[in-house]
Amino acid sequence: MAAKQGAAATTYSPKPLVRTRPPIFKDSDLDWTRPDGRGFHQCRPALLQTGAVSSASGSAYAEFGNTKVIVSVFGPRESKKAMSYSDVGRLNCDVTYTTFASTGTDHKEFSSMLHKALEGVIMMESFPKTTVDVFALVLESGGSDLPVVISCASLALADAGIMMYDLITAVSVSCIGKSLMIDPVTEEEGCEDGSFTMTCMPSRYEITQLTITGEWTTPNINEAMQLCLDACSKLGEIMRDCLKQAASASEELT
Amino acid sequence: MVGLSISEQHFVKGGIAQDLRTDGRKRLTYRPIYVETGVIPQANGSARVRIGGTDVIASVKAEIGRPSSLQPDKGKVAVFIDCSPTAEPTFGGRGGEELSSELALALQRCLLGGKSGAGAGINLSLLVIKEGKVCWDLYIDGLVISSDGNLLDALGAAIKAALANTAIPKVNVSTEVADNEQPEIDISDEEYQQFDTSGVPVIVTLTKVGTHYIADATAEEESQMSSAVSISVNRSGHICGLTKRGGSGLDPSVILDMISVAKHVSETLMNKLDSEISAAEACEDES
Amino acid sequence: MVMRKLELPLSQTQKVRFQTAIERLQSPAEGHGTSEVDDELLATVCGVVVRVDKLVYVRTLRARYKPQVGDIVVGRVIEVAQTRWRVDLNFTQDSFINMHDDNVQKRRTSVDELNMRNIFAEDDVVCAEVGEFHKDGSLILRVRSQKHGKLDKGQLLKVDPYLVKRIKPQFHYIESLGIDLILGCNGFIWVGEHGHVRDPMTKNTRKEQSHTPLETRQTICRIGNAIQVLSNLGFTMTLEVIMETFKLSNTRNIDIHDMLGSEFHVLVTENEAERRHG
Repeated sequence: MAAKQGAAATTYSPKPLVRTRPPIFKDSDLDWTRPDGRGFHQCRPALLQTGAVSSASGSAYAEFGNTKVIVSVFGPRESKKAMSYSDVGRLNCDVTYTTFASTGTDHKEFSSMLHKALEGVIMMESFPKTTVDVFALVLESGGSDLPVVISCASLALADAGIMMYDLITAVSVSCIGKSLMIDPVTEEEGCEDGSFTMTCMPSRYEITQLTITGEWTTPNINEAMQLCLDACSKLGEIMRDCLKQAASASEELT
Repeated sequence: MVGLSISEQHFVKGGIAQDLRTDGRKRLTYRPIYVETGVIPQANGSARVRIGGTDVIASVKAEIGRPSSLQPDKGKVAVFIDCSPTAEPTFGGRGGEELSSELALALQRCLLGGKSGAGAGINLSLLVIKEGKVCWDLYIDGLVISSDGNLLDALGAAIKAALANTAIPKVNVSTEVADNEQPEIDISDEEYQQFDTSGVPVIVTLTKVGTHYIADATAEEESQMSSAVSISVNRSGHICGLTKRGGSGLDPSVILDMISVAKHVSETLMNKLDSEISAAEACEDES
Repeated sequence: MVMRKLELPLSQTQKVRFQTAIERLQSPAEGHGTSEVDDELLATVCGVVVRVDKLVYVRTLRARYKPQVGDIVVGRVIEVAQTRWRVDLNFTQDSFINMHDDNVQKRRTSVDELNMRNIFAEDDVVCAEVGEFHKDGSLILRVRSQKHGKLDKGQLLKVDPYLVKRIKPQFHYIESLGIDLILGCNGFIWVGEHGHVRDPMTKNTRKEQSHTPLETRQTICRIGNAIQVLSNLGFTMTLEVIMETFKLSNTRNIDIHDMLGSEFHVLVTENEAERRHG
């Protein structure tokens, strides 16, 4: 037995991911635990890092559980000649998935949704005639992709030194049966009855984007909003810390 | 794009602040709504809705298809919107495409519910003819004929009316079929099924201009908006979807306030629309 | 018709000869919107056939505005160019206000050219008079009297140009209501608070914008909607008709917003029928 165990340890075999459809919950709502063992109102641990791509003006890497995202920001650089004159800057967003990031689903709308989430927070008038490009790459899709991309993009913009009113944080909540689950993973998203995605500026306490699908009652919306606001402000603090660390690290170097 | 001089902008905003908009409406009043059903004979159902100067057509086409392997017990619904340059020259080229996809996405959100299908305005399980094998695919097409603001509400209303007008032929399926074969189907020419549209929500867009928000904004008023929230509400008063447009942020309490106002407005809109739809249906039957 | 005054006895052949001669005399001359195909005069545009003497032409229903020198027009500035402003008048050609127009600017320096937006900026609504046609067909507008110039505190309505007749005066000050009404020949109609046509020399100041009193705003809305209704019905816009519609809505106690509903349209039509036959 011991020899066998030793043999098993030396050969590497990837652990097959369990892909089962979660049970359909009916009366057992309360007994159910989430696939990664979190509480309903508990977010995944977040790892944030700035300066992931050296060639970009600013970049950030974010890892929320299995969701891994890189965002790089280029610019502001002069707008293409073909575009007409504008006294405010332009923002160009693109969200792509790596071929191995997820199975099948395409997310064409994410680019425009990222654009909408960011346009209100960037001080566009601070860079007239120029364009800022924000490219997001989802390395691995593990649920709540868009919120992670948005938060990561705001970190990358801050890293690039672009003027913003505030950092932007985004969190989503899934509603399954009667329970609300914050920061859902792919399996939960697949069988959700409704989703609630919120983007906000935590220090200004303002909501910049809000998307709700599925049927919701008012108390549920209130609860989800409270959950999201709370999570957003906490995420904002983590992001701020991350930026402070990066700043102090660069100060030490000089 | 509507261009307004600074003094006109000021006039429009002032009117909204004084609760008397340029066409005499109060902040939460809709323009008159006209509904016409059965406007496209080739479609299974169609409707034309006019709200003031905004004019849209929605059509529903049903085709036999196969359910997706992920959801074998459900039919499929696809929403497409076309903002043609006939409505406005700026809709030509990419400008129209972007707006079209944005509207289609918002409508999908409002009509189709969550990923599990809960809270959908259209009951997708009713579209299944034989589980895993045959189902109806519904293609909902919206066309913007002329645009004077508030396109989303008008399209939502048109789709609701078109669905109410939709008749889908009855289908008989041969019962005994091996697992891996497609069953034979027989589409009836005479018997039709109607849709139950009581669950289809209406969309209310509240546009924030200055410190106030208004319902059913005209293009002139939309050019002055800071942000807009589109809320779809069904008959039982539940929210079935929400989208926000415009970059500027809103205080959470304002959004909650808007939701409750939208609920209130949706009741009148829903009743008005229902009576218009049944009047239009009666009118069509007569002719 | 021609035989009326000729009480002459004519034989059958004389009659025929006479009539063919008359017909030849009346043979129509081709006018605008007509074309001769196989000896037949056909309309090439959709509209009303008008006969003036021998000339037959078709007046299009929804044509763009055809300016005449001396017309009072309301337009919107669409471009600020080097020394002139380009104005949208719903005319096929470009229309311009020149900066070297005497009343716009007394002193002309290069600094003034830089500050042109202080006088009229893009999207501003202006009132002007058609001055002259340029060689290339474009139009020069004049801002001559105190009445011309930038308009504010009110709303612009657009109707089909043929609904506005060239009847002077086109400026109306409705004293009892404190309202200015300008019926631009190009179908742009301005309804606004009185006394705010500003001297072009005064600069754009944003501070002085004060709120329009609610009562005045109600009147502006009501007149605006009256014009909208008349335009929907295709009735000619004159001060009398507009005011009559305005009063009708008031006496019938119709809500400003409900004026755009079907009931009021019917009421206005009935009223008009009464007026024409009564």
